[in-house]
Amino acid sequence: MRLMVFSDIHGNLEALQSVLADAAQRNVDRSICLGDLVGYGPNPNECVSLIRSLNKCRCLAGNHDAAIFWGMSPYGMTGAARKSIFWTMEQLTPENKNYLQGLPDRLDILNMTFVHANPYNPRGWNYVLDRKYALRSFAATACRNLFIGHSHRPMVITRKNILSIDLLEVSGSRNIAVKDTKRRIVNCGSVGQPRDADPRACYLVVDLKKEVFEYYRVEYDLEKTVKAIRSAGLPALLGRRLMNGT
Amino acid sequence: MRIKQYGQWKTANLKQRFFYWSAAILVGGGLLLSLLSFWNTRRLLMADAMTKSEVILREVEAIRSYVKEELRPKMYELHGRDKFIIEAMSTTYISTNIMSRSAESMPQYSYRRVSLNPHNPGNLADPFEDEMFNWFEEDPTRMFWQGIVKKNGASFFVSMVPDYFEVSCIRCHGKAEDAPKELIARYGLDGGFRFKAGDLAGINSVAIPVSDSLREAWQGSLVLFALTLGGSFFLLWLLTLLFQRLVVERLAVMLSLVNHREPGKKSMFNGGDEIDVLHDSFGALGSYVRSARKGASLQPNFIGPYVVESPIAAGAISWIYQGHVAKTKEKVSLKIGFDDVLQNPLYHACLKTELGLFEKLSHPCLPEVKERVGDDLILEEVRGRSLIHLLDKGPLGEQLLLYVFSQLCDLVASFHAAGVVHHDLRPHILMLDEQGKLNLIDMGLATVDQQQDPIMAAGLGPQGDLLYLAPEQIRGERGDPRSDIYALGVLLYFSATGQLPFSEERKTEQQWLRHKKLIKKGDISRGSLSESFEQIAYRALSYEAEKRYQWVEDMWKELGALQVNGVCGRTIENNRGHSDDGGT
Repeated sequence: MRLMVFSDIHGNLEALQSVLADAAQRNVDRSICLGDLVGYGPNPNECVSLIRSLNKCRCLAGNHDAAIFWGMSPYGMTGAARKSIFWTMEQLTPENKNYLQGLPDRLDILNMTFVHANPYNPRGWNYVLDRKYALRSFAATACRNLFIGHSHRPMVITRKNILSIDLLEVSGSRNIAVKDTKRRIVNCGSVGQPRDADPRACYLVVDLKKEVFEYYRVEYDLEKTVKAIRSAGLPALLGRRLMNGT
Repeated sequence: MRIKQYGQWKTANLKQRFFYWSAAILVGGGLLLSLLSFWNTRRLLMADAMTKSEVILREVEAIRSYVKEELRPKMYELHGRDKFIIEAMSTTYISTNIMSRSAESMPQYSYRRVSLNPHNPGNLADPFEDEMFNWFEEDPTRMFWQGIVKKNGASFFVSMVPDYFEVSCIRCHGKAEDAPKELIARYGLDGGFRFKAGDLAGINSVAIPVSDSLREAWQGSLVLFALTLGGSFFLLWLLTLLFQRLVVERLAVMLSLVNHREPGKKSMFNGGDEIDVLHDSFGALGSYVRSARKGASLQPNFIGPYVVESPIAAGAISWIYQGHVAKTKEKVSLKIGFDDVLQNPLYHACLKTELGLFEKLSHPCLPEVKERVGDDLILEEVRGRSLIHLLDKGPLGEQLLLYVFSQLCDLVASFHAAGVVHHDLRPHILMLDEQGKLNLIDMGLATVDQQQDPIMAAGLGPQGDLLYLAPEQIRGERGDPRSDIYALGVLLYFSATGQLPFSEERKTEQQWLRHKKLIKKGDISRGSLSESFEQIAYRALSYEAEKRYQWVEDMWKELGALQVNGVCGRTIENNRGHSDDGGT
């Protein structure tokens, strides 16, 4: 079983299409999108429709998805994010809005938990980037592996013992073998807006038989997306962040 | 079926009823406990007083006996028969005096020797003692009386013993003229005479005050009642909390399904608590089962513009009928729930979930939904015959089998990827057309992970055919994707061999569990299955879900590898060669 896990598309159709094309060559059986289909990017409708059309793909809700139907207040976001949310609200079709509204917060499949931000308060949208929130996340699920997105930074957090963790920031395309029985929090990175200084789209394939996390970075037509951001009247800052991967 | 109602309680819900009844039982129980405690304390008190008074009365009797038998004869001997020294010869005088002296050191005890006609006016019976005289005189066999008597606002435990005149007593109590002059000089001629032997002379009584003890017993009972009441209300709070968590909240989930009704429609339930509504629901379920057995006779003639023809197959809670559009004659299939299913809220909820899944899911192996008419679904025409019908004629060839399973595994994987567990995969609901294309026609017991599961909420037992159910489902659990993989294992074995891995004879759930646990590699095929297929079927049929394939895709990859390795067999056309009738 090879499971594709990806997250934070943020309306970046070019990145999404490139990632899906790349994943199609990697014998993926199923895929799970950890949310944030929209926000920031210039192609929210296209991205949501593409995700909806995918076979054997499950999608969770992210904070930007929730903000579309006021599941969280856009006024708590940064200026550029807030502007893009209001813009996205106007762009989305009712069908796509309904789809986003129906997305679940969390999935538990066998010994894996999937959630956008964290499992202890999925609608609180706290980042899991340090020991405190990692241990709290481990406590909130009995599953061995927890898959998250939200921070846009690919990383693997391994629970060493009840009080300590190992945090591994993953850069580039890389395979990480996990033959032991330790519990892990796996951040699959971001498809549409990476923030680890690498502008390439990022996604993860979990090979459950071989017990390997395969991180892939995929190049896509950045210029086209930046142009589309400009054409849509979205803040230029969003394009610059894409170019820099921040 | 009508809902039973319980008078004024008919409007109370289950939690209220539980609270009222529990409160009544606990308060009643506390009251009863306190009363029992008081009764027992009083009983012990009385037993103690009885023993003490018996000792005193026996002591008095011994004094009187000593005077009669020893002292008085001696005095006669010393002073002659004419002399009567009251202080040394009168039993009453001596016994009352001795007991009076005793009373000085034991003021709580009171001894009295009373008579209706005494020499000494101080020994005259009071009204209560007068009554007791009558009581003893009514029946001379009555030799004892005990009881609680109230005097001057205080309670006493009183023991009374009657005393009858003997011949030796008559000198002083018979004729006044025969009485000793010393006696007449002291008491006069007014009282104490004109008796004869055998008359009731007087009553010896001992009174022990019990007011304080009874008050303490009563206060103890009140304290016990207060403690019990406090404890009861604490217990009641805990029980109510527990009841809320374990029963009411789960019932509420179930009832949210049971009570669901279309806007504008009146609920089919008209009162009672949650259990009453479920009772009604299960009654409707019984009707449903009966009607399900009647099968095709329930089919309607028309649904909207569609003509309903003969049934094709039965699902868990609905039938698939052939049909056509009245005007155009275009062939369709119709999915129709039983009338009683529609009236049963639990199964109605299942049917709605099923219809929703048919509408929402899209897969080549699911018939396309053309229209929904109320609770009926109009599907594209489902062609072919059920897999069970084909397997009646023998196993599928391996090539056809792999083709069928490639579709089936993909379909089930799509379900699981969408968070759907079918729970009821069996050959009766899998239709194969002439080209071997598979169609699944029923999802009546399917669940979606983001929706409430009415079967689980209702706590119903195993649902579906036990033959195909995974052990955990037979145990009453709801099952997960691995339960579907177990059913795929049974189907794989059945399709490859034409035989079921277990005999179909009726078994209890426990027998099924034991039977399914005992399966061993090599046993199941009895040589009729190739080793590769047996390996796959054996793993899928593992008793423990953890030992099965965890993903349908993994099972298919191993099956698909057989195809790559060039395994071949019959096609459905070969299969049809076994009989003269094939798919439609």
